[in-house]
Amino acid sequence: MSNLRLFIQGFITANRNVRMVIYLWFVNFLFSLMIITPFYLLLNKEFSRSLVGDTMTEKFDLTWLGDIVFKYRDIHEALLGWLAVGGIIYLLFHIFLNGGVIGRIVEQRERISLGNFFSDCGKFFWRFFRVFLISLIVYAFIIGVIYRLISSLFKLWTKNASVEWPLIISSNFKFLIMIILFYTTRMFFDYVRIRLVVEDSRRTIVATILNFSFIGKRFFKALFLYFLVGIAGIIFSLVYFGVSKILPSSASVVVIVFIWQQLYILSRMWVKILFFSTEYHFLTHHKASWV
Amino acid sequence: MNPKKTYLILLIIIFGFALQPAKGELTEEEISPIRYEIWVELDDVNKMLHGEEDIFWVNRTKDEIQDMWFHLYYNAFKNEQSTVFQESRGDKLLGIKVKDDEWGWIDVTSIRLGDGRDLTPTIEFVPHDNPMHPEDQTVMRILLPEPLMPGEQVHLKIEFQAKIPRTILRSGYYQDSYFIAQWFPKPGVYEEGKGWNCHEYHLSSEFYADFADFTVHITIPSHFVVGASGKQIKAVRNEIAKNVHYTFAQENIHDFAWTADPDFIKVERNFIADKEIREREYEEVARKLGLPVEDVKLPNVKMILLIEPEHKKQIERHFKALKMAIKYYGLWYGPYPYETITMVDPPFRTGSGGMEYPTLFTAGTGILTSKKVLSPEGVIIHEFGHGYWYGLCANNEFEEAWLDEGINTYSTGKVTAKAYGPSAIPISINHIPATYFLNLPQHYDHEFDRILGIHVVELDPITTFSWKFYNIASYALNVYMRAATCLDTLERLVGEDLMLRILRTFQMQYRYKHPRTEDFIRIVNEVTGRDLNWFFDELFFSSLNFDYGISSLRSDEKKKHFKGVFELEGKKEKFTKQKVKELKAKEKKSGRKKTYVTEVLIRRFGEAKVGGDVSMKLKVTFEDGSEEVFYWDGQKRWEKLTFEKSAKAKFAQIDPDGIWLIDSNLTNNSFKRKSSKKGIRCFANKLLFWIQNCLHLVSTLS
Repeated sequence: MSNLRLFIQGFITANRNVRMVIYLWFVNFLFSLMIITPFYLLLNKEFSRSLVGDTMTEKFDLTWLGDIVFKYRDIHEALLGWLAVGGIIYLLFHIFLNGGVIGRIVEQRERISLGNFFSDCGKFFWRFFRVFLISLIVYAFIIGVIYRLISSLFKLWTKNASVEWPLIISSNFKFLIMIILFYTTRMFFDYVRIRLVVEDSRRTIVATILNFSFIGKRFFKALFLYFLVGIAGIIFSLVYFGVSKILPSSASVVVIVFIWQQLYILSRMWVKILFFSTEYHFLTHHKASWV
Repeated sequence: MNPKKTYLILLIIIFGFALQPAKGELTEEEISPIRYEIWVELDDVNKMLHGEEDIFWVNRTKDEIQDMWFHLYYNAFKNEQSTVFQESRGDKLLGIKVKDDEWGWIDVTSIRLGDGRDLTPTIEFVPHDNPMHPEDQTVMRILLPEPLMPGEQVHLKIEFQAKIPRTILRSGYYQDSYFIAQWFPKPGVYEEGKGWNCHEYHLSSEFYADFADFTVHITIPSHFVVGASGKQIKAVRNEIAKNVHYTFAQENIHDFAWTADPDFIKVERNFIADKEIREREYEEVARKLGLPVEDVKLPNVKMILLIEPEHKKQIERHFKALKMAIKYYGLWYGPYPYETITMVDPPFRTGSGGMEYPTLFTAGTGILTSKKVLSPEGVIIHEFGHGYWYGLCANNEFEEAWLDEGINTYSTGKVTAKAYGPSAIPISINHIPATYFLNLPQHYDHEFDRILGIHVVELDPITTFSWKFYNIASYALNVYMRAATCLDTLERLVGEDLMLRILRTFQMQYRYKHPRTEDFIRIVNEVTGRDLNWFFDELFFSSLNFDYGISSLRSDEKKKHFKGVFELEGKKEKFTKQKVKELKAKEKKSGRKKTYVTEVLIRRFGEAKVGGDVSMKLKVTFEDGSEEVFYWDGQKRWEKLTFEKSAKAKFAQIDPDGIWLIDSNLTNNSFKRKSSKKGIRCFANKLLFWIQNCLHLVSTLS
């Protein structure tokens, strides 16, 4: 079966699981609300009675931002800490949610409900958490070793440069390579997770090792499919930014802007499910050569 | 103020002599006390300079002088025990790792009097700044065989060798590109009654030297394109030795820098004043300055650009910015008095971008630029402006850096705003300007300056010695941004025209001199006719935060009927709740207008306060459109004001005219009686969206 057909299958599966898109969006929205609450209260305290608050409906102004950064200079660390803690909790919660998402994609015959979704979340959490820990080691290896190696190779080229071009080219190449490495690793561990669910296995290390052989044999096919879905995400982003540019920034259209932004976030959640769906079909299509 | 000298200099300019300041037209005090003739040869292979220097130094003081002190700046790069390296905690703050063959140094191999007497044995290094760095060799002292009497001249013949460092602190080489600054033995400034002012080379400070007449002969391999301070007098090619012998000369400058790179493209243009400035513009400036139109006319200037080939497309951009700078600095602060200005696009990795030297400056650009960001324009205007604030008004940058950096940052903002308008923030991602993908907000320089400047208010006074600031950030933000913001505040306080007159008077009165902060304050007081010493005490000589604001505003209906027992015509009368209610209803029926009592609580949140004849203006705007204005002396911590009006207050503003730009919190300068959250919701919505996206990005790790 061609990658395109697998993509279509994934597309159909993702559309069948629209309810999960809502779950993911809701969690994202709730977490974001929680994180911005102290900032909102702070803004409210500072600006609700100030004429400066009225100018916030217009374009972004650095002046009041500078004022507020200076005024709250003693609690910068606390605010950054709040953002970091919020991010970490969200990450852990997403590991939990991934179990539900993949579990429901694999169990295609059952209708999705909050009950069976969260049941899968709980069922696979610790397995996925172990996969996350393994993936962290790999990410650290990529950044700490491979990226440094690549950087030092580029440095050989740029260190004696007499114009700026090699620097521009190398830093952008490095960035591109980093992105590719990051997303390839992510794709690799997506397959590990799907495999664990499909096999209902708890052996995360074994699944990771076996996945090397599975991906290794059809690396470029898998990568192509992965980037095909990525393009869908990019298209959504382009549409979002294109429309945003023509939306006015006045307070009267704040609700329209809000709805448009949330539709975009929903699209990103849908793309996330599309990734898992297409990967699931790719994996099951090549089931014969799993072992 | 000394109008005699100002008029003398103005007269010189009017009659065209100022194009090339010559000794004959200046007062004795203004004639350069030094004359240099330097012969230097560049050894491209060994990165060495071999030099000889004749110095003629005149004692213009009433002191008998026993010794002479010299700056040997290159020794700052000699080893890790120099003051610069000690202050940079090894090389951490410099951000470079010096390799074994990349250190720089200067050796005075011989120093003799003109009559041949050898003073070399008397050489000693005299580090003396606090904290002490005893191993520093950037200040050299020699003993004179007999005291130099007032009015006498000493002729010194110096031989020196200098190893050029791999570029560090804007001087040195990278591959075959050179930027040669602070490279020759340079006497300090002798101050009458005080002795030599000759500080060590510090990490966060620039320079100080006497005005001098320079003739510099540079011998360099013939494949180099050369640029230097002053005017090129001749270039003699030696085909056998394959080198060129250049001679540059300039009178009345206090430093000499040069650059050489085989790849430089040299472009020359003329600033033709009649073409660039319309008569109407002259008239307008003359009116503002209160001068005859003839006094503000500008001379023509030869502009020389040395630009790297990869930036060739930006030649016009460079010249346009330079023309704007020559025009507005000239119109506002006085004509540019030299014949030439050389603008250098520093070669890649020479790290010498954005630096000023007399009649020469370095700009700096990248291959990828954006029209929305005023770079390189901003840096060109700023560095040219230093020709006025540092070049002509030559303050001591070691001790009072704000006098050039602060005034010039303020002036740059004015010129940039006039010539170009606002600019986007210069942010690049992987060397690509962020404006290629993002619609960044546009701001004026004074807005940026204020945002940055307020952050160091409580660390140091602006007038701190350069190397004694809390850290480099405090030095930079205080002397550039905070000082500029204080000057912007001063402009709003005294008015744009008076501020222009202040700076013009200061520039013309202190051209070819070394003004101090006290001189600037004196000029401010004289031009404005006010005592503004308090302004400088609060904002320049102290580290006090300036923040006035409003902490509450309320309007309540004025109570006319009160409950309780009252003595009426000798009898006790009880006003019950019911009775009061009836009285209120009766009054309502009568249709009489209600009266409201408005109470505003204004506060001085910061330690700094206004003084002299200045008070803080408070304006209360009422719902019926009427306004009440009140002036508060701002000395106490707070003040409660009460108004009785037939309308409720809508909002109150302290400093409604926006004079106090240095106020660290402009948000609390206004207070609305009713809160509104439209703007906050708009912003919170944007914030929410970005956090949603960030969280989604974080989840890719899951």
